[in-house]
Amino acid sequence: MDSRERILTTLNHREPDRIPFDLGSTQVTGIHVVAYQRLREYLGLPRVAPTLCDTIQQLALPDDDIVEKLGVDVRGLFPLNSHNWNVVGKDIGEYWEYVDEWGVVHHRPKPDGLYYSMVRSPLADAPVTQDDLRAHRFPNTGDPARIAGLRELARKYRAQGRAVMIKGVLAGVFEMAQRVRGMENILMDMASNQALAGAFFDKMVELKLAFWEMALPRLGDVVDVVSEADDYGTQVSQLISPRMFRQLIKPRLATLFARIHQLAPNAKLFFHSCGNVRPLLPDFIEIGVDILNPVHVTATGMEPHALKRDFGKDIVFWGGGVDTQDILPHGTPQQVKDDVRRNIDALAPGGGFVFNPVHNIQADVPPENVIALWDALREP
Amino acid sequence: MALLDDLRQGVIDGNAPGTTSLVKQALSEGTPAEKILNDGLISAMAEVGRLFEAGEYFVPEMLVAARAMKGGLELLRPALAAANVQAIGKVVIGTVQGDLHDIGKNLVAIMLEGAGFEIVDLGSDVSPQKFVDAVAAHKPQLVGMSALLTTTMPKMKTTLEALNAAGVRGNVKVMIGGAPVTEKYAMDIGADFYAPDASSAATRAKAAVQGR
Repeated sequence: MDSRERILTTLNHREPDRIPFDLGSTQVTGIHVVAYQRLREYLGLPRVAPTLCDTIQQLALPDDDIVEKLGVDVRGLFPLNSHNWNVVGKDIGEYWEYVDEWGVVHHRPKPDGLYYSMVRSPLADAPVTQDDLRAHRFPNTGDPARIAGLRELARKYRAQGRAVMIKGVLAGVFEMAQRVRGMENILMDMASNQALAGAFFDKMVELKLAFWEMALPRLGDVVDVVSEADDYGTQVSQLISPRMFRQLIKPRLATLFARIHQLAPNAKLFFHSCGNVRPLLPDFIEIGVDILNPVHVTATGMEPHALKRDFGKDIVFWGGGVDTQDILPHGTPQQVKDDVRRNIDALAPGGGFVFNPVHNIQADVPPENVIALWDALREP
Repeated sequence: MALLDDLRQGVIDGNAPGTTSLVKQALSEGTPAEKILNDGLISAMAEVGRLFEAGEYFVPEMLVAARAMKGGLELLRPALAAANVQAIGKVVIGTVQGDLHDIGKNLVAIMLEGAGFEIVDLGSDVSPQKFVDAVAAHKPQLVGMSALLTTTMPKMKTTLEALNAAGVRGNVKVMIGGAPVTEKYAMDIGADFYAPDASSAATRAKAAVQGR
């Protein structure tokens, strides 16, 4: 069984020869460049100048040698977007400042901050009207330059026997609206000016469709998974009520997901939301989500045995392999192994599981713990 | 009193224009500012906190209620100052060094303000020295620190050490929170208490300054 067959088997809810492993195929299943360099050194791999697939989060694109060594089963395509296209920080004293194609301002602490964080949104000044939104200049998400070279890359990965997935060029419908309008503003709009909030969400759907309608006719036959992402969960609950999700967001996601399935009928749809999204899982399944990421196993309501029991036949779990908020950065290698075994026992039986930590492996994760994770995964 | 009940309900419903006009009306009718504050605004935010903890309110409802409360409070401030009404305590709050996330910290600040505290908000990416200087300058009863990242959490410990080294740690209680932060972590680094969300942060802060 090659890597692609392994992934396709599990995505079709059958148990493959071994648990499939993802490292770095998306912006939410990756590894920070600092942890990546330390891991390479630990594995005795030669020093490289790493390519970043996401400069904002400083995520490394895994090189072929480490993919081979660790048996990574899936590779990602990273279309050009505000996270990896001419991300150049300007020195403004205390920070590196980067203004992205959306007009969002990001700061990274000098001299060696671990990430860029958003500090200003272009339409944050209340009051904003639907006319302001219409007049605002948005990036051309349908520009084919964004996917230049990706078809050849996908074919190369396929020829290596690996599954291929592709991400989009803007954050989730809810999250991208937060970036453009400001998080607190859009949340207040949702409670007090739903027409305006809805207009923002419609705009994000339109921009997403412009990308997928350009990209999937060109790439749909060489990708196995299409990924979309948003964030509704918190550590204990949800940012917005399930009622508000169903009213303002779900119908728009349904339109988007239906079109993606139509454009790439053979690909599975991967959807990311951190936190406790258990109350929303039936909704995700209903509107065509095939794969849930990250399976935030330490959030309230996300206990993996119960999730597998209640939703395992309808959705694939991609992630949730080890807690990334405490055990992976702070635990001993033995604690990492124990946590990995617990989560595998819950999520892997019967297939429908791709192994990855709960989120990106951050700069504070020791290489010993990454290898402990990998050893536990590979144990018979 | 029907007017204050309406005012309270206006805040709970997130009705900002209604809240400001009711505050104006209450003041013009001679209602003591302290009574408007306690029975109108603070009482409303306590109910908002209760609804949040009960899972009936989420962040949007909390934010619009806070916006209404803040509008009312701005109108009320001159009358509160004239009547020499004191806040129940002062809190210096910020997101720790290297961390630029401020939504969680802002929510905590809003709920603390709604519970009757005076807030000194230092913003995000706040160095240990800035916390120390703010404690010296503002003499708060409480210091609140937030971190969203595992990689910035250790700065909470560094900041506590800086407060110790400056000899001001004993003057304040320190509360911490943020996605990766836990009760155990708070105890491990010697903070006074932890809160899992904005509403419980306000409840615990109030208990801390009232010695309960």
